[in-house]
Amino acid sequence: MIFIAILIGCILGAILGLNAPMISYTYSSYLAIAIIAALDSVFGGIASIIKKNFDLKIFISGFFGNAILAILLTILGQKLNVDIYLAAIVVFVWRMFMNLGTIRRYYVEKWSDMIKEKATAKKAKENTDKEKSEKA
Amino acid sequence: MKKGKIAMTITIGIACFALVTVMMMQFKVVNETDITAIEEMQESELKTELANWKSRYEEIDAQYQEVTQRIEEYKNDEESNSEASQLVQEELEQTNTLLGLTDVHGEGIVITLKSGENTAAISADDLLIIVNALKFAGAEAISINDQRIINTTDIVYITSGDFIKVNGQRILEPYVIKVIGNQSHMESAVTGTGGKVDELQALDHTVTIEKDNDITIGKYDGEIETRYIE
Repeated sequence: MIFIAILIGCILGAILGLNAPMISYTYSSYLAIAIIAALDSVFGGIASIIKKNFDLKIFISGFFGNAILAILLTILGQKLNVDIYLAAIVVFVWRMFMNLGTIRRYYVEKWSDMIKEKATAKKAKENTDKEKSEKA
Repeated sequence: MKKGKIAMTITIGIACFALVTVMMMQFKVVNETDITAIEEMQESELKTELANWKSRYEEIDAQYQEVTQRIEEYKNDEESNSEASQLVQEELEQTNTLLGLTDVHGEGIVITLKSGENTAAISADDLLIIVNALKFAGAEAISINDQRIINTTDIVYITSGDFIKVNGQRILEPYVIKVIGNQSHMESAVTGTGGKVDELQALDHTVTIEKDNDITIGKYDGEIETRYIE
């Protein structure tokens, strides 16, 4: 269900983005940092869905708040001649990896559980077969 | 629970949609502008620029060193020339003083002339004779009614207006002649037998002579122009 939503969102977004007008190169650095922040929020959202503590308000406020804050920090950094956006990128990417780790662990565990269940089921089946043959 | 899940799904979908839209826009910008090329170009440009500036700095620095050295030389020259220049300066000052281009003061006499009521007024010739006599006696600076007498000074009588002009300026009675020079020489030059002052006094004009140990005579306030001297 979630993956379908993500997929549809991505496809529609790609179509719209490719047809959108060009933005000036000057603003592309701000846009880049906003993208990183939004990406982090999306991964965080997926991770929280997996952890089952997803909150719509937190997700939306994080999605926009982080992006805007990152842009503002980048502007401030340019005014101060300090590369503040580097710190923002470090934080966002670090969190992205944490969230990706959560997602990965969840699916790996799910998968290994599935394999284990299959194995136990097979064993059980073999056992029942054996019993049947012994009886026979 | 179901409603919450749908909202969550839609939200995530919209977030992905917005994210990917912006990402695609950014990709397009990055593709079109080719950031790396720009950066590389700028870097190399900056490098060459930097090298240019460095070489130019070295050139200018060398020039600067040369100029400082020259200044040092000039300074040394100046020090050795300072005595000469001081002499020249003194000479210049003296020349200016003699030309009447500076205010001067010193001992001398003040002659005040006022025409008598019943006789012909004091003429420009009388003033000329007095000035000439004072010069003969060694006067160093003379002024009539604060008009400095210099080498180009004219003392003329203007018939139409019945007044005397000195240095082209109209002067009125009483005529005050200030002279700097030896007091007794000055006095004796205009008094005594044949002295103009005595002569004028005999003609019933009022003439007084005062001795003063510190007379100030102003400078010539016009401009000295030479048009024909080559």
